[in-house]
Amino acid sequence: MNINKSNPLLLHPLNKWMKKKKWSWFPHQIETFRHVRTGSDVVVFAPTGAGKTLTGFINPIDDLIKLKKFKGLHTLYISPLKSLANDIVRNLEKPIKELDLKISFQVRTGDTTQYKKQKQKQKPPNILITTPESLALLNSYENAKEFFHNLKYIIIDEIHTFLDNKRADLLSLNIERLQTFSPSLQRIGLSATLKNKLDAKKWLCRKKPKIVSYENSVLPKIKILESKERIPWSGHMATYSINEIYKEITKSKLTIIFVNTRAQAEYMFKNLWLINKKKLKIAVHHGSLEKNLRLKVENNLSKGLVDCVVATSSLELGLDYGDVEKIIQVGAPKGINRLLQRVGRSNHNLNTPSKAILVPTNRFEFIEAKAAIEEIKKNNLDKIDLKEGSFDVVAQHIFATACAGQFDINDLYKEIIKAYPYKKLKLNDFKQLINLIQDGGYVLKNYDQFKRIFQLRENKNIYKLVHKRETLKYRMNVGTIIENPMLKIKLGTKTLGNIEEVFIQNLSQGDSFIFAGQVLEFQSMKNNLVQVKRSKSLISKIPSYSGGRMPLSTNLANSVRALLAKSNMWDLYPEQITEWLKRQKNTSKIPKKDEYLVEQFPRKKIFYTVIYTFAGWHANQTLGFLLLRGFKEFNYKPLGFVANDYAIVLWSLKEVKEIRTILNLGLLDKHLDNYLEETSIVKRLFRDNAIISCLIERRLPGMEKTGKQVLFSSDLIYTVLKKNEPDHILLKSSYEDAKKNMIDYDRLREILKKIDKKIILKKLTSISPLAVPIILEINRENLSKKETDEYILEDLENEILKEANVLSIN
Amino acid sequence: MYYQLINFGNEEFHAYPNKSLYWKRLNTLIVSDLHIGKSISYAKNKQFLPPYDTKEILNKIFVSLDKIKPSNLIIVGDLLHDVFSTLSIKDQDYKNLSQYMKNTNFVWIKGNHDKNIQIEGFKNFTNYKIEKFLFTHIPIETSLFQICGHYHPKVKIVHRGKTIFKTSFVHNEKIFILPSFGILTGGLDINSKEIRDVLGKKNLNIYPVGQDKVYKL
Repeated sequence: MNINKSNPLLLHPLNKWMKKKKWSWFPHQIETFRHVRTGSDVVVFAPTGAGKTLTGFINPIDDLIKLKKFKGLHTLYISPLKSLANDIVRNLEKPIKELDLKISFQVRTGDTTQYKKQKQKQKPPNILITTPESLALLNSYENAKEFFHNLKYIIIDEIHTFLDNKRADLLSLNIERLQTFSPSLQRIGLSATLKNKLDAKKWLCRKKPKIVSYENSVLPKIKILESKERIPWSGHMATYSINEIYKEITKSKLTIIFVNTRAQAEYMFKNLWLINKKKLKIAVHHGSLEKNLRLKVENNLSKGLVDCVVATSSLELGLDYGDVEKIIQVGAPKGINRLLQRVGRSNHNLNTPSKAILVPTNRFEFIEAKAAIEEIKKNNLDKIDLKEGSFDVVAQHIFATACAGQFDINDLYKEIIKAYPYKKLKLNDFKQLINLIQDGGYVLKNYDQFKRIFQLRENKNIYKLVHKRETLKYRMNVGTIIENPMLKIKLGTKTLGNIEEVFIQNLSQGDSFIFAGQVLEFQSMKNNLVQVKRSKSLISKIPSYSGGRMPLSTNLANSVRALLAKSNMWDLYPEQITEWLKRQKNTSKIPKKDEYLVEQFPRKKIFYTVIYTFAGWHANQTLGFLLLRGFKEFNYKPLGFVANDYAIVLWSLKEVKEIRTILNLGLLDKHLDNYLEETSIVKRLFRDNAIISCLIERRLPGMEKTGKQVLFSSDLIYTVLKKNEPDHILLKSSYEDAKKNMIDYDRLREILKKIDKKIILKKLTSISPLAVPIILEINRENLSKKETDEYILEDLENEILKEANVLSIN
Repeated sequence: MYYQLINFGNEEFHAYPNKSLYWKRLNTLIVSDLHIGKSISYAKNKQFLPPYDTKEILNKIFVSLDKIKPSNLIIVGDLLHDVFSTLSIKDQDYKNLSQYMKNTNFVWIKGNHDKNIQIEGFKNFTNYKIEKFLFTHIPIETSLFQICGHYHPKVKIVHRGKTIFKTSFVHNEKIFILPSFGILTGGLDINSKEIRDVLGKKNLNIYPVGQDKVYKL
């Protein structure tokens, strides 16, 4: 088919600009344009570099030019990241300015000044680029309906990042609200290539749903760093290969090094500087850095003013930094989609392949890296599981709705169940959530005189906010992302960023740590500001951040298992890996693709049981706890366990003889409730639930009470509530969250269902080669928080007693 | 119930894991900072904490009174969180309280939270002297040994790379501070300026409260 002849985009206002740039329209852009023009909601799947952003804007721009001097808001563009929102503005600016189109566009995120936000509300631009949280806020204003009533399009960028988390829930509810305000609204979703495209369509589209898909035929070139050094047995820091990584940077014009955690980012950055003989310009970028520092790095990156940026997922999405030549991924890829997303950051040109180098930081990661490369060749992507909507987000949405004005609960319920995640929300649960917002929703109706929203006397279906000042509280609490309590770091009067309170608690005055690439000395903490000065010390702690530990995807895990079993491939690996696997084969066994290897061996009077599940960190962690209980029941005297993405090791005083009897589905059914109760998982999720549902207020930087006691802790609330009202909706909600997210319940269930027939039990006399990495990870006993606390107190008291005795003897 | 033996002002006291203190010789039970009705007071500001704190605090007291049968119960301040708090005390609880008062002498010392509140049938004091001991919410200038509350002390323990915070009894030579007996009450670090100004930094005896045991550091 000759596309040009039938291409309606040749008459598009942007066609002139495309011609000038010597670009031609992509088939998927044409297809999207047609579908949207004929009234369809569309999800577009295309790789980076295929003009995805532009695809979203084709219809809105065409429409705006035809409408001529359209006043008010016409198109809303939702981006998952603030930094991406800024980048979109930069990209949109070029054609609109060059062609002098009469279209206004602005960005609105948490970083936008109050003054600008006010102006936007009075005189909205035609196109507003924003985030889900800012959209939720806009919907909570009294004039939201007028603001949005002419809205024609909503574009959701990187929609694949929104499908499986609470932000997705929040966004879905707010899209339905916009649809109520403006029934003619059309939805356009932009996504990276996805395995389950139909799910994304179901999530977003309502009107004549359509999928547009464009697959890139040029595969990325990914290889594993060839290192002369030994790949370590365990660990995650890649210190062994730092010189080789540096060499790779010098070979390319612009490199992004992706790491998996913020701590790794700081560590990598510091180590690169130590060997930076060529004085390359190296920068670091992660979510805890102060906004201005982040923006500076992003600007330098887009202008090509740096040679290398060390980054976490903060630079992962959509940003178009055209000149990035090479990606280095340090550490496990964890998932195919994620790796592809990262690799796609380099070389935004469709016809030349992206280039990436993987640096495994330990031996299992080598196999994982290899497996990931294989899967990418086969284009075998990870499936993204849509999640069922969480209750706490509905509660927050109810509060937001009340802030915008009085509402009918039946109308609200009908609107909410239009959103895909909430299709199955029960009316009864919804009513409990209304009560939760009204007065906490307790059985004891103690708070009648203090309600936040109330029923009108003349119409019991209509609820209204008690007082306008409550809107302020909603606005302080909007959003679903709960960070741990963070403290601001001040160097002199300059703010460097935020650091977790937990980390600072472990520091004493004079300790040095590394942050934003500088070695800093901890001086004091006052009013939640951490005062630091520059330090020349070389010994430093790295800030740890608890968030974002991603489990290995099921898809990649399967591939790792398959690859491990392919012994004919081993000779292609570095010698040390080959040697490692061969020795495992000789002394124990390499499990086949669908087998579950269990190894047992004694070591220094302790009995070890290692189970290779390849189930990902969350599921393994859960299984470890359950087995600990199972072992206790059989009186094996278990002492502890450690889990990683691949395996679990448990150690006990007695030999574990009945592993086959213990390790099955019964284990899950029998001990899960106990497990959730004993560990702090549900408790921690309760805190998130309580904050998201606005039951307790978010601790924002700078608003904490100074001096006096902290208000109260969510732990105390949890304990009281659990004891007195175990059926409370927030406890139910926290429990569901735990099952869905934290413990990988479904994945574990799948494995345990079939595991008993597939266990390969190896009784060994000593540790096997495959077990070495996880045995090396044993450095702590995993006890519940309650037990740990008691243990620490007991131990400390004993130590002091001993010390006292020694002193008196001397 | 296990207790920790504490010697303060040459007298024997017992610290219980339920955060009460018992003076053996005079058969006197001492508690502090109950903050009854904290939840209802927060509800005023639309923070809806579970409304069960009052019931639980009173039950804790009743259990102690049943077990120990003290001649005196001294509350060293902040029995109530604020003027709304009495709303959360049920009629039955009032009746129970009156019943207990027949056998036990209730001494309610006013704290900063409840200084302007009266409850019928409840005697109250700004401070209360027994022999060489002064019971007061916030310590004052005196040569007496003082037993007080107000600060909700907790201690930060860093041990083997872990940091935990524990509610604590704490005293120096002359001043004893009780932990809060409340359910939804937070704590203040013993190292904070507020507590340091009162107790100083040296020669502190710290007793962290564990699950079923009071420890000694």
